[in-house]
Amino acid sequence: MSVPTSIQTSMELSLPSELGFEVIARDAIAAFARRFGIAADRIEDLKTVLSEACINAIEHGNSLQPELRVQIFCRLENERLIVDVIDHGVVPFVIQGTPLSMVDKIAGLGSLRGMGLMLISQLSDEAGFVAGTGDGNCFRFAFCCQYTNGFGH
Amino acid sequence: MMLEDELTVSTRERDEVAVIDLVGDVTTFAEEKINTAYREVTSKGARLVLLNFRQNDYINSAGIAILIGIVTEVNRNHQKLAVSGLSQHFQKIFRMVGLAQYAGIYQDEEEALAGFKSLT
Repeated sequence: MSVPTSIQTSMELSLPSELGFEVIARDAIAAFARRFGIAADRIEDLKTVLSEACINAIEHGNSLQPELRVQIFCRLENERLIVDVIDHGVVPFVIQGTPLSMVDKIAGLGSLRGMGLMLISQLSDEAGFVAGTGDGNCFRFAFCCQYTNGFGH
Repeated sequence: MMLEDELTVSTRERDEVAVIDLVGDVTTFAEEKINTAYREVTSKGARLVLLNFRQNDYINSAGIAILIGIVTEVNRNHQKLAVSGLSQHFQKIFRMVGLAQYAGIYQDEEEALAGFKSLT
């Protein structure tokens, strides 16, 4: 069953590139998802994925320059919640290959950071960079909706 | 302006276990507080360390990196580490990233203390 068409099914957010603002975005997107009856455990996954995508955009794409904005566009489409996180591409994102395992990290073979993309790929139903409209990075992820109430199957 | 997350870190001892209570969000801003607490209990000779999470609505990858650093130190210092009090979501995340290989994950403090007892 589809979500009633009378309900608005898209939302946009714009954040400064400063760590901490991703918390505001995750709360907003969680409220957006709850509005459509998406299951609570999936909303927790969504919050983590959105946070990690925003942190990547803030730290890498916008190089922690607060005056640069991170744009977030989310929409419900064909029973999928699709989220685009767009930065200015100050640093084009380059995937570094297979992330270090926990064993390697603990052995001191590399940075302890760098788990964000792994979490995103494990928790979302699809994720990756897509062609955006500008010069920046556009990272898209999606969740197939598993409803718990009124809009459910 | 900094939007620092609030995290309160405190330490106590219970049944020969050094308990580090972490109340609030665990993000990049938590590094100094967590590392200071760990160094404090280690300097007092702690062999068993429990990270007791409470009201942690937000733990991100930067926070997890801090905890991996603690695991590294725990291994170096031949201590045992456990975590308790995580929500189901963050228990899943900890298992996903591989932290469960290095630290017992328990529902609550009592269960963790019982787990430590079974090791000794």
